[in-house]
Amino acid sequence: MTPYQIAENIEASGLGQIIRESTWLFPIIEATHLLALALLGGSILIMSLSILGWGLKAPLADLYTSAHRYLNAAVFALLFTGVLLGVSEPVKLYGREAFWVKMSSLLVSLVVTYCVFNPLVRRGVASWGLRGATVLTIAAWLAVAMAGRWIGFS
Amino acid sequence: MLETLVTKLADTTWSIGLHESLHMYAITESTHVLSIMLFVGTIAMVDFRLLGIAFTKVQVSQMLSRMLPWTIFGFVLLVVTGSMLFLAIPVRTYHSIWFRLKLLMILIAAINIAIFTFKVERDKAAWDLGDVPRKSKICAVISLGAWACVIIFGRLIAYNWFDCESITSPIMAKITGCHLDPG
Repeated sequence: MTPYQIAENIEASGLGQIIRESTWLFPIIEATHLLALALLGGSILIMSLSILGWGLKAPLADLYTSAHRYLNAAVFALLFTGVLLGVSEPVKLYGREAFWVKMSSLLVSLVVTYCVFNPLVRRGVASWGLRGATVLTIAAWLAVAMAGRWIGFS
Repeated sequence: MLETLVTKLADTTWSIGLHESLHMYAITESTHVLSIMLFVGTIAMVDFRLLGIAFTKVQVSQMLSRMLPWTIFGFVLLVVTGSMLFLAIPVRTYHSIWFRLKLLMILIAAINIAIFTFKVERDKAAWDLGDVPRKSKICAVISLGAWACVIIFGRLIAYNWFDCESITSPIMAKITGCHLDPG
């Protein structure tokens, strides 16, 4: 089965049909996706601004304890609602460059956040490496959000 | 009066330019959406602190003073890009029930901020690291609810379910300022 055929099969699935045919489901899932985006921004920024010296003056490890829970909740909600949005129109998405840009930058963001940024913040030691990772993390997530919004325009 | 104004606005070269330019409109809307992360994101973190469910080791006063510049920065970006988005499609947006509900929610959030700033947080020195009083928590819940509604209603402006052409009930016509077809 080619990737395109997989997309066609998902599109024909019951879940895809339900979301596509409902007037309210798609917009409500979209709005929830945005609410989770705000939470993602807040939880990453509160750690990042502090690391860069522009935010809270508090021990990093303390900030991490609270912020990483909201970060996890936001990522989970974004992936969950994102999958639902994707399932409702996979054939359209398959043909859109912005979708593939979003998926690649999402992969980069997840790896950078969970494999580099989080472990460094948890350790709580300020360093140039951490500042670099912070800038990279913000840039990666901005790319995901920007490409995501672009799916609707392309 | 307002309706005449938005109709005139729609005829300006600025409005037509923004509306017709695919890239300018897309960039403006994307910036509007990305600014939500800065604005509502920082507000949510402060509200969670007031509710006592996050950052309890950080003083409330520090949380407010160090986050506020970023919240204001986000607000400026949102107002500038939001005004541009309105300018691009003024008449339809003016009549949109979602846009009107969004403005109402912004008004509620603004009143809530005023009450918090001028009344509730006055004695914050007493609860900077201790138990946050209930009145502060109520402000935090109203803030979270109102801004969440602003995001939801804002997203729904894009949908045309209640555009003037599809409105038939007199009540909806009154709320949206649309004119019903006679007959």
